[in-house]
Amino acid sequence: MRIFENTNYDFLGKRRKFYFLSLGIIILGIISFIIRPIPLGIDFLGGTEVQVRFASNVEVGEIRSIMEGAGFTGMEIKTMDSDRDILLRTPLQAEGTKISDDISTALRNGISGNTFEVLRTDKVGPKIGEELRRNALYAIIFSLIGILVYLSFRFQFIYAMGAVAALFHDVLITIAAIAISNMIFPGLNLEFNQTMLAAFLTLIGFSVNDTVVIFDRIRENVRLYKNEEIESVMNKSVNATLSRTVITGGTVFLTLIVIFIFGGEVLRSFAFTFAVGVLTGTYSSIFVASAVVVDWKSKIEKREKAAKLNKKFQTAKVK
Amino acid sequence: MKKNLTRIILTLVFIFLSIYFIYPTYKDYQFNKELSKLTGQDSITFLEQNAAELKELQQDRIKLGLDLKGGMYVVLDVDVVKLLDDLAKNKDQVLTDVLNQLRASTDASDASVIEQLKSMLAARGQTLKSYYGETRDTEADIEAKLEAEINGAIDRAVEVVRNRVDQYGVAEPQIQKVGGNRIIVELPGVSNPEDVRNLLSGTALLEFKLVAEPENAVRVMQLINNILAGTTDTTLTNDSLKTSDSTSVAKDTTKSSDKNLAVKKDTTGKNKKDTIKKTDTNIASNDTSLLTDTGLAGDTTQQLSEEEFKKKNPWFYLVRLNPDGGTADGFVTENDRPAVERILQRPDVLAVLPSDVTFAWSKEAFDAGDGTKFYILYALKGEAELTGKVISNAQSNIDPTSNTPVVNMQMNDEGAADWARITGANVNKRIAIVLDNVVYSAPVVRGKITGGNSQIEGMANVQEAKLLEIVLKAGALPAPLKIIEERSIGPSLGEDSIKAGITSSIAALIIVALFMMVWYRTGGFIADIALVINVLFILGIMASFKATLTLPGIAGLILTLGMAVDTNVLIYERIREELGIGKPLKTAIEIGFKKAFSAILDSHVTSIITGVILYQFGTGPIQGFALTLLFGIVANLFTAIVITHIMIDILVEKGVKVKFG
Repeated sequence: MRIFENTNYDFLGKRRKFYFLSLGIIILGIISFIIRPIPLGIDFLGGTEVQVRFASNVEVGEIRSIMEGAGFTGMEIKTMDSDRDILLRTPLQAEGTKISDDISTALRNGISGNTFEVLRTDKVGPKIGEELRRNALYAIIFSLIGILVYLSFRFQFIYAMGAVAALFHDVLITIAAIAISNMIFPGLNLEFNQTMLAAFLTLIGFSVNDTVVIFDRIRENVRLYKNEEIESVMNKSVNATLSRTVITGGTVFLTLIVIFIFGGEVLRSFAFTFAVGVLTGTYSSIFVASAVVVDWKSKIEKREKAAKLNKKFQTAKVK
Repeated sequence: MKKNLTRIILTLVFIFLSIYFIYPTYKDYQFNKELSKLTGQDSITFLEQNAAELKELQQDRIKLGLDLKGGMYVVLDVDVVKLLDDLAKNKDQVLTDVLNQLRASTDASDASVIEQLKSMLAARGQTLKSYYGETRDTEADIEAKLEAEINGAIDRAVEVVRNRVDQYGVAEPQIQKVGGNRIIVELPGVSNPEDVRNLLSGTALLEFKLVAEPENAVRVMQLINNILAGTTDTTLTNDSLKTSDSTSVAKDTTKSSDKNLAVKKDTTGKNKKDTIKKTDTNIASNDTSLLTDTGLAGDTTQQLSEEEFKKKNPWFYLVRLNPDGGTADGFVTENDRPAVERILQRPDVLAVLPSDVTFAWSKEAFDAGDGTKFYILYALKGEAELTGKVISNAQSNIDPTSNTPVVNMQMNDEGAADWARITGANVNKRIAIVLDNVVYSAPVVRGKITGGNSQIEGMANVQEAKLLEIVLKAGALPAPLKIIEERSIGPSLGEDSIKAGITSSIAALIIVALFMMVWYRTGGFIADIALVINVLFILGIMASFKATLTLPGIAGLILTLGMAVDTNVLIYERIREELGIGKPLKTAIEIGFKKAFSAILDSHVTSIITGVILYQFGTGPIQGFALTLLFGIVANLFTAIVITHIMIDILVEKGVKVKFG
């Protein structure tokens, strides 16, 4: 079985349209983000989080009134997978396990005829959250620098810049996608925590991987078709690798869909983020990474031509 | 075939190694399966029977992270500000204000605490010297001194935490010193946060306790023995002592370090040391020969077999005494220790335990020379003579005259007076140094110690002396700890997530494998075999590095498998292209592999770059992810480039019709 054999689509000719498409999604994401920011998980925010499982279904509203009665105002309370699993979160922290103990005591006293077990408690101090934020930032910045240096060395600086531009694009699009789906499906409970951070870092890895494969073919074809325009060489390369792009992207995407649906609540945010990342990573390899290189190269060529002309003109003048 | 020979051998070696490393994990899994079938007493006997093997397996198997297994994860921070408060000499309002200000700022920033303190004090016209210095100290001296105190505090805290966690009896606890002043404690399987909080954050208690008189100790042990043996006869005669004296020792094993407590700079001490009878500790081993003439049950003439001895003297079977030592220290093998601990917690045993005798374990087990490790069970007086609060300083040193490690200990005036009285009244007796109910050392008092300066001798090496110094200081200046992060994952959530995660991952993998076979035919089938070998390699590498598998780790595994598929897709698409332009199969395969290589290399190297950076900057879960990713990339490079190639080559050579779709 085979698909996309000997195709000859003009991908790069349409790149300007796709610039607008990307820009549109990002703007939409920013708007969603402003209306409803992606909640930061306890990992980054600090605070106390308790997850409990009741013997039978409970109402979030009932729990909220119990907690407010116990003095926990402004607490975040939501159901997890079923109406029995409740997550309670407060920015409060105190020495030891005081807060989580207080929460379970209040629940025990407030709810009658329904028992529960505490599945998980997390307490993160403000210093840890701060540190994590900083380390995450460092990790991303240094990964980008590392990729930039390696690709400049293996390809050219312009290509490395194209790949990094694609990375920025992918991260922005994915954030936008999360913000938008949080607007549309608030039940997904997508929040920015360590797991999602891991997903972002993975998608950076995947996106570069995908870009590198296409660049590799461009590198080969540039040597083969020395006299052709860079745009047409790139189109040839993207078309040549199209089959691989679709198969790899497709299988990874499929894997993630399965994990998203059946993988349980812990892996869900990872699977979602990475699945979006696979889509945009594949797309951006063509319409951002390669397109940026084409635009930049033609700009340089134009400038060089202009400079040459200028030089001729000047020398002519002096004569 | 010939050119592939080295590659084939290499592949087989790696496969063999992987299986070798994974085997303990498999064996451990089998053990647990067997164990889950047993209940109550059966499971305890099963555990005891296989204790040694289980312990070994636990060390070598792939560990599951807390998120998969349930348990507690606690991050402790040494409260440096509290420490500075404890260290200050002339406390006044200015210092109190500054420390409060410091507390607020250290929570937010990571700049050096001492630097911050200095500038805050300077802003109020004070210097470090006003609170922390001696007359002749320069500011730099004081800074260095405080720095050393803070560093010392974290070491003490780690020791205290380790000591307590060990006593709590958690399987495979992990205690890690991280960064400047942080301790990460992981307690798998623990689900009671209240217990852990009490365990970790209380102040350490260092006590000096007299070792109980041997007669007294043996009498108590005899009582326990009678209860265990079911003997109602509780009348005690001198027999018990006599009998313990008559226990013959077959194997004269290593001496446990013999420690002496002496007045520092006591010139006569040198002579005294020789006059003191060394408390060599000889251990009776399990050989029946040595048990033959034991008459612990009052029967001195009858020869007892090991079984009979065990039946009549269950306590003394587990806790061996040394008849020639003149002490009642019990020697218990590492494997017997849990059983003895259980005995000591039995209500009927607790009921007969007099208030003036308590039992405490030695910190370290020592090797009897034949690989058997023994803990010492000390019988101590119930009341502490003195607590560690009176210690003003402790310092491990090498004694210049004897060239052996010693620890010098200073006490404050109040402590020194008590110490003189205690040591004076107990010359030639032993005083145990007990931290949180664990005996770190039990030196013999060689004479009355006045002036509060004592020297403890007889440490086997510098490390042991250093440890004792840390312990003594922990009593003098407890390192205040605060819990800054705490996560407890119930095993039920752990089970849920591991099941869902693993089932879905396997399902996804099968789908991908089927797809590959449909799409690439023979090539896909080979790729699937390579995928299985890949998983084997990754697990093998993880087991050999004793790495921990976490949920993000599984995610990393999935990503690597995705990359493995991609690598094969890259190669096969190239081969198809070459076949498409009419190249013969063999040439197409060669060129396909060659041309795909640069893309494979570049994409893997970029992944390695991100993996390394993630590992460097990530914490806990992210590190787990990065680690499996890195292992996976390395395994993948090998399987895709070497193994897949060999398999295809062999098939082609054998004349099998290899299809790539």
